[in-house]
Amino acid sequence: MPAQAATANGGTIYHLKKGEQGSALDISDFCLWYGSSQALFDVTMAVERGLVTALIGPSGCGKSTLLRSLNRMNDLIDGLVISGNVTLDNRNIYDPRTDVIALRKRMGMVFQKPNPFPMSIYENVIYPLRVDGVRDKGVLEETAERALKGAALWEEAKDRLHESALGLSGGQQQRLCIARAIAGDPEVLLMDEPCSALDPIATARIEELIDELSGHYSIVIVTHNMQQAARVSDNTAFMYLGRLIEYGDTDSIFTNPKTEKTQDYVTGRFG
Amino acid sequence: MSQAHTVRKYDEDLKELNNMLARMGGLAEAQLKTAVEAAVRRDTDLAAQTIENDDLIDELELQIDDMVVKLLALRQPMATDLREIISALKVSAEIERVADCATNIAKRAIRLNEHPSVKGVGSLPRLAEVSQQMVKDVLDAYIEHDVDKALDVWHRDEQLDALHTGLFRELLTYMLEDPRNITPCTHMLFISKNIERIGDHATNIAEMCHFLVHGGPMRESRSRGKLAQRAAAAKDDTGSGA
Amino acid sequence: MNRLAAATAARGAATARRQRVTDLSAQGEPFLWALGGALAFGCVMIVGFLALVFWNGLVTFYPKPIAAVTLANGETIAGEPTRSERYKLSPELLAQLPPAAKAEVEADDGYAMRTLYRTGNFDIYNEDFRWVPAFNVAKVEYPTGIIFAERIEWGIFVGRIKALETGETRREAGSFTEAELRAAHEEARARWARIRHIEKNEIGAVNYRLDEERLRLRRVELSKGADSPAYAEAKARLEARQAELQARYDALATEAKALRAENEAQRIVLAEIGNQEKILPLSALVQFYEANDIGLFAKLGVYFSRWWKFLSDEPREANTEGGVLPAIFGTFAMTILLVVAVAPFGVVTALYLREYAKQGRMVAVVRISVNNLAGVPSIVYGVFGLGFFAYILGGSIDQLFFPERLPNPTFGTGGLLWASLTLALLTVPVVIVATEEALAAVPRSMREGSLACGASKWQTITRIVLPRAMPGIMTGIILAMARGAGEVAPLMLVGVVKLAPELPVDGFFPFIHLERSFMHLGFHIYDVGFQSRNSEAGKPMVFVTTMLLIGLIALMNASAILIRNRLRRKFAGSQF
Repeated sequence: MPAQAATANGGTIYHLKKGEQGSALDISDFCLWYGSSQALFDVTMAVERGLVTALIGPSGCGKSTLLRSLNRMNDLIDGLVISGNVTLDNRNIYDPRTDVIALRKRMGMVFQKPNPFPMSIYENVIYPLRVDGVRDKGVLEETAERALKGAALWEEAKDRLHESALGLSGGQQQRLCIARAIAGDPEVLLMDEPCSALDPIATARIEELIDELSGHYSIVIVTHNMQQAARVSDNTAFMYLGRLIEYGDTDSIFTNPKTEKTQDYVTGRFG
Repeated sequence: MSQAHTVRKYDEDLKELNNMLARMGGLAEAQLKTAVEAAVRRDTDLAAQTIENDDLIDELELQIDDMVVKLLALRQPMATDLREIISALKVSAEIERVADCATNIAKRAIRLNEHPSVKGVGSLPRLAEVSQQMVKDVLDAYIEHDVDKALDVWHRDEQLDALHTGLFRELLTYMLEDPRNITPCTHMLFISKNIERIGDHATNIAEMCHFLVHGGPMRESRSRGKLAQRAAAAKDDTGSGA
Repeated sequence: MNRLAAATAARGAATARRQRVTDLSAQGEPFLWALGGALAFGCVMIVGFLALVFWNGLVTFYPKPIAAVTLANGETIAGEPTRSERYKLSPELLAQLPPAAKAEVEADDGYAMRTLYRTGNFDIYNEDFRWVPAFNVAKVEYPTGIIFAERIEWGIFVGRIKALETGETRREAGSFTEAELRAAHEEARARWARIRHIEKNEIGAVNYRLDEERLRLRRVELSKGADSPAYAEAKARLEARQAELQARYDALATEAKALRAENEAQRIVLAEIGNQEKILPLSALVQFYEANDIGLFAKLGVYFSRWWKFLSDEPREANTEGGVLPAIFGTFAMTILLVVAVAPFGVVTALYLREYAKQGRMVAVVRISVNNLAGVPSIVYGVFGLGFFAYILGGSIDQLFFPERLPNPTFGTGGLLWASLTLALLTVPVVIVATEEALAAVPRSMREGSLACGASKWQTITRIVLPRAMPGIMTGIILAMARGAGEVAPLMLVGVVKLAPELPVDGFFPFIHLERSFMHLGFHIYDVGFQSRNSEAGKPMVFVTTMLLIGLIALMNASAILIRNRLRRKFAGSQF
């Protein structure tokens, strides 16, 4: 689908590529305060369903904060105040009546440093089902196989399913965490710099995986590596000091950005 | 471009790239001038010199190629930087062809000087000057990122084409007048054609300039204009394009 | 090039200068030596202490030869030489000495050597030990045929076997063989054990049942009233049962009486070195051997049999003799109960403080209070345990559940349960602190990972955090166990007694009697060492019991550490 013509809204330039199935998440006028200091200023964007959306920006621009707000992981921090909406399926996830645990089950999250639990590979992958109360062994095994295949780890892991997950290499551990994230069949996959702790080959495999996964899942990925953002994503959002500066299709952002700030950042003229 | 790159060497490399292009452009302009002069003043030595100097320009093109490859591999350029580097590659190719055309003119001049002088030779300087001016202006426009200037050069190509067609007609009459004129006039035709070609290369450079600044092709496509022009020319007279 | 050479030269000179004036204190070597020295000193002290305890403890049971000492005045003393020392004589004593001895002592600046002999035979001599000065000694021999016998009463006997009496017949020594004597002795001991079993267990059971019935009646009386039909019914049942039990009692008593008569019939005549006779039933001898005649193998046999008796018998003679089985059992039971009480309490408290409580002033205050609990003197815990647990809680329990036993307190006095709970309170700060540290050491990334999978906070804690923190928690429990097993002061107030009539565990429902008093190895050490009549005999027992207590605690700690190591291997990368 052709990119939209650029539109401006409250200081942000939009020219994103729309997905065919509409938007998965709608963020509107989202503000966030850590105590008295504001971290996010009126962020408005739509995460398109089935596409990969990258969040880029210099350190401290709020991209990780925004990502963690999407599955309310920021709730763990004391003194957090938010305003605005994040809508999933026409329901605001910040509504006081929302079941946060149910919400998190619909989103999978992968962190910067791989964090497998000190259990077997099998137990790690089916953990989301276990905490959901699923006990049927057949279902669990089937899910484990599906998730591990989806994360391109099945061939390497199928003979050591009951060995400790900590015996895997870094790249394999991260793929295990991805398998764990997709085991519960979430709608949205949130990835916070998933490759920054990995070597180039492991990184390439994860990027390949993201490619395969997009289409089934809506993926939001935060990354420092602009080339990676350019390679894997369909839409890219550039954030600076807590504001969304430009949100558009990846090709334009990296070959012909519409704002000077974005241009300065992607060409390395920052600071 | 507001600020400098965080890595200063990057800026220095880009500057170096532009310098090489400017030098190459200057050399090509000079080649054109001396080649035409050799034809008009019937100076065979000057023509020979011109042909030899072509090596310098080829050398510069190779250097620019290397520089571009290095920058692409090491700097992973984005946005304006990417366009600038890609354009440099294409522009250097165009300048090299301009120099080749000048060399062709010099070669023709040597052959021309074997024959007695022909009347049409007086029109050549006019043609050459337009072409030279186009090349100079478009290179300035490119270095200065001045799209308007480039667009102006782009339009001047029409004028150049008209002059070339005019000279072509004139030479035809001379050839019809006296069959002994055919050989020298044919050489002159080739010279004229090369000068006209140089104009075309200048328009290519103008389009690169637009791409560099605006990130997309010019709205007025060159091919469209050419097609219309050719159709019009075909309607007017019976000559086939050279 | 010149610049480079010059720079290198300058750098070299500066380095040389710097090396010369490097401060000793900057290098830190003196402090390293001091630290190493302190550590070595500590190690030496610990090793020295353990060596002292173990050496003294290990040799105590080894049979020593018996010396027969002829004094200057012709008197003979027989006994085990225990120790020798150099002492100063008072001038009056010096004056009274015969000239040869006096000269000897004066030559040594007024000092003389004397040896302590364990003569035994308290019932004859009125003393167990006797000092014999070296100058008073005419001759020291190690005669054959002298036996060292441990008795049920009156301690040990040193002397000879003169004769065996069976009923009226008397057989002098020489007319029966060693094997015959031993066989008769075995038989007598077996009878004695059977008598004991009858009295303790079987008659004890009958008494217990009688008591139960009586209490049942009293319970009915209290609840229904003395003139209710239920009471009358119960009373009738009681009387029937009583008759039954009485009959059983009579039967047992008769059996016991018969056996005792048999035992009384078998007597042994012993003579001490001065030929004074002593007649005892053969069963009154626990163990005897010929001190100067037995070989290494037999000595080792005596040694190990003494160890076995020590570990499996009950105490005799005000804890100076016999075994410490009840004390071992009591220590063990109390420690187990302590762990059962403190582990969940401490862990749950720490969980709440660390995970659920809103971190602020309140929580900080609680944490400080918990840490301060660790500084309270342990005797204060004893007072608290007695006042709160025993009198208040125990009193209420007695009123509610055991009114029929009043005014005899059941739970209203010190016992196993209250002692364990008191010590649990004492050691709970350790567990709380260790658990909090272990919980804090669980990396945040793991918790976040779990929450992101859709787990609730409680699921995260039970599935991820607690298992990962388990090695650290176990460390806390091990520390608590080590501390609690060794504390004696609070126990003295809340349930430990010098001599407990029965073990807290027996064959009657509910099988574990938490209200009973118990014995404790730590208290036993204190009692034997400082409260017994016979301090010289008590001293070696102190060492042996100390060795045993250290060994028991080490064993418990070792098992806990084993469990923790297994857990730690499961979670590679744990820091505890």
